[in-house]
Amino acid sequence: MIKFTLNGRIVETDAPPTARLLDLIRDEFELIGTKEGCGEGECGACSVFVNNLLQNSCLIPIGAIAGADIQTIEGIMETEQFKLLDESYSNAGGVQCGYCIPGMIMASAALLSNNPHPSEAEIRDGISGNLCRCTGYNMIVDAINLAAKKGDGLWQKK
Amino acid sequence: MAEKITAYRFDRLDQTLSQLNKEDCAIIAGGTDVMVLHKSRRGVPPKIPKPIVFIDHLTELKQVYHLYKDLHIGACCTYSELLEHPIIPVALKNAIKSIAAPAIRNRGTLGGNICNASPAGDTLPLLYVYNAKLLLRSVNGERIVAINDFIQGPRRVQRDPNELVTEIILPSVLEEAAHVVFEKVGNRNADAIAKVGFAGYIRINEARIEDARFAFGAVGPTMVRSLNIEKKLVGKTIPLASSDIAEIVADFDKIIKPIDDQRSTAVYRKTVALNLLRYFLNSKQYQTK
Amino acid sequence: MSLKDISTSVPKKDHKGKVSGQLPYISDVKVENMVYGVLVRSPIAYGKIKSIQLPTLPEGYEAVGAEHISGPNYVKIIQEDQPIFANEWVNYIGEPIFMLVGKDLNILYSLLDEVKIDFEEHQAVYTLDEAIQQKSASGITMATYEFGESLETIAAIELGAHQIIEEEYDTGYQEHVYLEPQGMLAIYKEDEIVVQGSMQCLYYIKNALISALDCGADDVRVVQSPTGGGFGGKEEFPSMMACHVAVAAKAVKKSVMLVFDRSEDMVVTTKRHPAKLNYRTALDKEGNILSMCVDIYLDGGANAGLSQVVLQRALINSAGVYNIPHFHAKGYVLKTNTVPNGAFRGFGAPQSFAGIESHIGHLSKLGNFDPLEYKRKYLVKQGDPTITKGIFRDPILVEDMIEDLLNASQYKTKKAEFQRNNPKNQRYKKGVGTSLFLHGCGFTGSGERDHIKATVKLVKSKDDRVSLKISNSDMGQGIYTTLSKIVAKELDLPYERVLYPDPDTKEVPDSGPTVASRTTMIVGKLLERAAKKLKAQWQSGVDQEVFEHYVHREMIPWDEKTFTGDAYPAYSWGVNIVEVEVDTLTGNIKLEKVYGNYEVGKVIDERIMKGQIDGGLAQGLAYGYLEKMTSKQGRIQQKSISDYGPPTAMDVVSIDSKVFDNPYADGPYGAKGAGELTLIGGAPAVQAAIEDALQTSFQQIPITPEVIIESLWRKEGEKG
Repeated sequence: MIKFTLNGRIVETDAPPTARLLDLIRDEFELIGTKEGCGEGECGACSVFVNNLLQNSCLIPIGAIAGADIQTIEGIMETEQFKLLDESYSNAGGVQCGYCIPGMIMASAALLSNNPHPSEAEIRDGISGNLCRCTGYNMIVDAINLAAKKGDGLWQKK
Repeated sequence: MAEKITAYRFDRLDQTLSQLNKEDCAIIAGGTDVMVLHKSRRGVPPKIPKPIVFIDHLTELKQVYHLYKDLHIGACCTYSELLEHPIIPVALKNAIKSIAAPAIRNRGTLGGNICNASPAGDTLPLLYVYNAKLLLRSVNGERIVAINDFIQGPRRVQRDPNELVTEIILPSVLEEAAHVVFEKVGNRNADAIAKVGFAGYIRINEARIEDARFAFGAVGPTMVRSLNIEKKLVGKTIPLASSDIAEIVADFDKIIKPIDDQRSTAVYRKTVALNLLRYFLNSKQYQTK
Repeated sequence: MSLKDISTSVPKKDHKGKVSGQLPYISDVKVENMVYGVLVRSPIAYGKIKSIQLPTLPEGYEAVGAEHISGPNYVKIIQEDQPIFANEWVNYIGEPIFMLVGKDLNILYSLLDEVKIDFEEHQAVYTLDEAIQQKSASGITMATYEFGESLETIAAIELGAHQIIEEEYDTGYQEHVYLEPQGMLAIYKEDEIVVQGSMQCLYYIKNALISALDCGADDVRVVQSPTGGGFGGKEEFPSMMACHVAVAAKAVKKSVMLVFDRSEDMVVTTKRHPAKLNYRTALDKEGNILSMCVDIYLDGGANAGLSQVVLQRALINSAGVYNIPHFHAKGYVLKTNTVPNGAFRGFGAPQSFAGIESHIGHLSKLGNFDPLEYKRKYLVKQGDPTITKGIFRDPILVEDMIEDLLNASQYKTKKAEFQRNNPKNQRYKKGVGTSLFLHGCGFTGSGERDHIKATVKLVKSKDDRVSLKISNSDMGQGIYTTLSKIVAKELDLPYERVLYPDPDTKEVPDSGPTVASRTTMIVGKLLERAAKKLKAQWQSGVDQEVFEHYVHREMIPWDEKTFTGDAYPAYSWGVNIVEVEVDTLTGNIKLEKVYGNYEVGKVIDERIMKGQIDGGLAQGLAYGYLEKMTSKQGRIQQKSISDYGPPTAMDVVSIDSKVFDNPYADGPYGAKGAGELTLIGGAPAVQAAIEDALQTSFQQIPITPEVIIESLWRKEGEKG
């Protein structure tokens, strides 16, 4: 039995310790915002926060996260930060097919929380593990820039 | 159907070591390599053939400190933790920045990178030129082994089943005013596996070379380094004569034997490895120091 | 929100569900009584199946194969050569032989490992070069076309020519890497099978299902799930998966889900055709072109698929944007025992443009011309004939677009500066390159009239909301938004009152597939007309429906046999300028600046257009230097995203782009096609820039660091 916090709620599971956090989130807890794009940590579609750090849930055996604080896109959806990113992605045209987007939002939030005023190079590094095949990234970079500019004070180092 | 999987996650290092003394286990630090190595297909947990010990939470393995002139790095420090740590050398930080992407750097560990012993391991060329040593601990005590002795081949390391790599030691790294260069050549600027890795280290005293070290990654089963070739440079004055440079390059030409694979070609790897070496030896940067 | 200028951007219809991740893609769906399917695939490239040994299947686990197919055992596309389940011969590694279905994926995967199949192996054809050598052997040439100036005339011209330049040019695979892997679900019901999944072409799938299940049109229904990228990869390929899950669902009387793993997706799904293009050009003393012959060979892979149509587009574009005197072209699709190749954004055109831009660039160097000046000499003008004896009817703005881009990019200053500074920097060399390109919008020839015959429907409800009932997929390109805008504007209705539900063949007529840059121009125009009709008969508070059917505007009729006539109703145009820096120690390329000017008639949504420009260019540039896929003994070598290497955010730079207005009479508000155009110029511009930096020529894409280092090494050797 493994116990951890998922989106603020303490949860338990009987899944084996080698089970991927990604599968647990999607199948057992039925949270579909975390997507599988590659299963090897190469695309970022499955990005979640583990103790406030951006990580790939496809590479995390749940045995390693006992007691940890896990947040998925569903867990941040009601926050002011999410709302600002939502609006910025819309205004900048950062969303096309959408499959990478929840992971991209998680990476954006992680970046801005650490570095509220990133340079373009820092933004590109911040989302470098999140593959997007539709946008060529630039409009996503614009979206993050927009969220940084508008979110003065909202992004604070945790 | 699903066979029972045993996994341990102890609060302390000593408990972990005593379990390792009882049972041969697969050790998972960040897991970023292990999870890919044993990956099943979509929707199914990886198949790891042994009981598992998780270690990445152990605070004993997350310390970074000086001891005399040496730098000690806890094996389970993640790349991100090292990037933020003030006493990690800039060259090592640059090497770490070239690894994967933030989410992996938040999880992957330096000890894991070493024990994975990939021929393309990103930090390895640099650790080789730093003459890194590894501290291994078991219930019977501890021992120190040089990284080039520890890594024996692809995914093969000299670790007894009851041992754990607990620290990476970079000897004298904080004292020496050496010029260190690291270059990773990948197919793209992030999330890439090295096609060639190069680390160069040179220490000059009054225009004479006191020490020179070179290591090449992804051009053989393990990092390529040669003390015999390096020795030839000791005592030479800089700038180096072009005949000296040509000799060193020719020496490495003989011992670098890369392969073709899905990422690159043997010819490319060798040519680029020697290009980077030649460039380093010609470099104006260290000569002005 | 009401729309003043159609081009002004509006929030995307599907934004909310996508940004929160709550919009369910097919792998997010679970239905009652659902089992998974996994495919048993051929481990060999070519051979005959002798016997199959199944492990003992636990209860609830079944094998589904050719014997369960009620109709003929092929996936209905164009030719009848692609088995749904290969039960006799296998033609490529990864070809599906049968499917195992059951509840637990873990068990299914272990059962897969226990299947034993005996084959009688035959000598396979692994490479395009082998296929070219054997092209007269039976079964190798899957399609061929030839057209243009007579070879006798060209022979006579060549006799009098100052010199004849021959070049051979190779292009590699390109993999779509849509972020959502392929997935398809068949929902089993007593009276119908509902197939739902990631797709571009609902009626391709529906027709394939009617054939495979040998059933009536009402017995199958196809519903598009939100689709995580397509780029052509979800054009014809999903038809096969749909047949797999539907046949299985009927056989086991349960709903069957088939979702690919990334590596499975990379190894077994269609890719851009590798190609070889041969050029033979006669020049006079001054370097002017007297005649040109082009031969194009496409590696079709193991099945015909859509390859013949891809070849048509490759051939029609074989002269690029140039009016070349005495032009002749011939093309072949050849069969190899490798994974079948298929549709990919650009559809044959990217290979041709890479080739012709490279060749013309090299010819310009021979005559010591600036490449761009040389290209401009041959640029087609309004009223010029096309190489298939059609006409460029509409105004062509390319000259203006070039001038504008030369200024924006300071092309001449940069070029001079690079030439001055490159010798001073031993390691890094900079270069600048250009590309000129077009894209024929819509289906080739008379496809719209003869094959597609599109119909659209608008449904108005009592509350005066209007729904688009069409079979076109939004796969990220934004048609939920753009097509809704067209209808909203025409009806003078707030954009929010126009709805575009996920297409479902039970609800929507066949408005054609979502391919060929046809959706905005053709379907958009039909919707514009339907909206006009609805407006004329609008009655508030009443349910109303209108239909509109495709009407062909006759031009010079297309004849596929003689390969003559107007191949496309309209053309979109583009110019790219790219600056790169080459690391001569490693061969690595760094993009420095990227510029693009485009003309697509009229932009329906500026932001969406920019998304097409940036995304298309990122793919097109990467096709030229970054993305590399190879096959060895019939096996795809790059099975992971990082081994293949599509660009990350750190590999692209911001793109300066501009779109020129040139409304087209038969497009909605003047719009033409835009989606594919943006990819085409990337590779040739990046090649030209690398050549400029290194003052050398390349005969292939991708120009990887390996290619560059080899070239530098050879150059070093020549110097002695």
